[in-house]
Amino acid sequence: MSGVNWWAIAPLLVLSGGAVLLMLLVAARRDTPLSWITTALILAAAALSCLPAREAIPQAVTPLLMADSYALFFTALFAICGLVTVIVSHEYLGERHGENEEFFLLVLLSTLGAVTLAYANHFVALLLGMELMGVSLYALIGYPDKLELPLEAAIKYLVLSAAASITFVFGFALLYAAVGVLDYPGIGAALASADNPVLLASAAMIVAGLGYKLSVVPFHMWTPDVYEGAPAPITGFLAAVSKGAIFAALLRWWMASGLYELPGLLTLVALVAGASMLVGNLLALLQDNIKRVLAYSSIAHMGYLLIVLVACGLVADPHLAKEAAAYYLVAYSLTSLAAFTLLGLLSRASGSKELASLDDLTGLFWRQPGLSLLFTVALLSLAGIPLTAGFVGKFYLFSAGVAGSLWGLLALLVIGSAIGLYYYLRMVYRMTLAGDAQPAAVERPGWPARLTCYGLVLAMLYLGIVPGPLMEILRTIL
Amino acid sequence: MDGLQVPMEHVLGLASLLFAMGLTGLMVRRNILFVLMSLEVMLNAGALAFVSAGAHWGQPDGQVVFMLILTVAAAEVSVGLGLVLQVQRRFQTLDVDNATRLRG
Repeated sequence: MSGVNWWAIAPLLVLSGGAVLLMLLVAARRDTPLSWITTALILAAAALSCLPAREAIPQAVTPLLMADSYALFFTALFAICGLVTVIVSHEYLGERHGENEEFFLLVLLSTLGAVTLAYANHFVALLLGMELMGVSLYALIGYPDKLELPLEAAIKYLVLSAAASITFVFGFALLYAAVGVLDYPGIGAALASADNPVLLASAAMIVAGLGYKLSVVPFHMWTPDVYEGAPAPITGFLAAVSKGAIFAALLRWWMASGLYELPGLLTLVALVAGASMLVGNLLALLQDNIKRVLAYSSIAHMGYLLIVLVACGLVADPHLAKEAAAYYLVAYSLTSLAAFTLLGLLSRASGSKELASLDDLTGLFWRQPGLSLLFTVALLSLAGIPLTAGFVGKFYLFSAGVAGSLWGLLALLVIGSAIGLYYYLRMVYRMTLAGDAQPAAVERPGWPARLTCYGLVLAMLYLGIVPGPLMEILRTIL
Repeated sequence: MDGLQVPMEHVLGLASLLFAMGLTGLMVRRNILFVLMSLEVMLNAGALAFVSAGAHWGQPDGQVVFMLILTVAAAEVSVGLGLVLQVQRRFQTLDVDNATRLRG
């Protein structure tokens, strides 16, 4: 380990040190605002520590972790998403009785898992990151333990997510049996010459395991239930960070091992992507619960993202595809985080009950003009309307698809987006309808949460109107 | 060493069998405790496959991964059992079919 520049993994050190610190703090003194602020500071420090870490990269820190600009970019993204979640959860937990301190600790640990995934360059780091993120999420989903829905969602997520991890582990064991290495570059080199029937079973199991985690068709059944049952900020975290981190780790593996050179795997991924876009969007049409609509739309979004993986194998320079994926992940993370956050705030502002069915949206514009406007922007960005981040992200994906001549998948992308436009605009339309004349007692959310929402929406608009700077950054670092 | 070694294919076959048993248990069992046990069986099947593959290649990596999987399993089960307690308290039963307020 000598000769390692520790700055290269500064964000990991900050997050893990911070988690221990916070645990001791909670043990010494139960004080929700204190642990809330500490967690927010730790996450902000982790995001900022990416700046000095840039001096120390690229560097392999043990065979397990690879500190490069790719890792740092996603580290910063996940730390910021974690920070947003922490800020708005304080608002959401609000007057919840009982002990809320561990909630923030769990968000911190889950973010640590996501950051580990961004660094992972070896099976062991991949498994550790995935489980750290997943196990913390089980507890977070079931955190409001006085209610039945979150508990049920937590059980469902636990059983299915664990089964997915185990399937992935078994698939990797078969892969190890066939090639004898566990690090990504080694796997790539060994796969180029390997020809073993075991590999087929292994590939199927790995695709199934990761497919569950990304919730792509046909492994998507858990998504709507878990999204509906989980507390709104955690749903946002699940959609943005958990899926983003798994995808980032998958993309790194895909590139480092040259998996895109295996034609069979490409066909499989293309099928999954097409099915996700179609099924996700069509089923979203049938839902009457807002969270379920967003859940099905997230399945479709993951399908859009998978186009990138297929495109990698067919374009001359996979860097365009990587860039497209990174841009889309940023846009998607910010947007889905904003959408669920605002949903949570809107529900709290319009009474104690969760905004659940589409009917609850009726007339929201007249009762909550500010928050509804922000929510509308988030929905438009999810739909991919110009001048929002979602549009530029989708455009990027489209150009990656064109470069790889994936006409079939692109057609599905267009059809899916058209269907998506309908159900997103339907929600906006519901909000503008005239509802109850007398506004209910309006409770304004606190300033940290409001400020965060404004920040998220401004970031979405900025990325949509001036996409140049982020593209430039992505081009230089990836 | 080579005289005592079991062929890797046999162990992988056993591991696959264990995995299939666990998966079957996961799907047919309705009691949440048994579901968690089935998950353990599946996880140990994966660990067994890693150990045999490590032995086949003469590397310690397989056993290192086995230790890691043990740790992961412990973490997973501890959270799982915590949720089981909550389910028992909330629904007065451990049957997962009773927890069906969410569609799907």
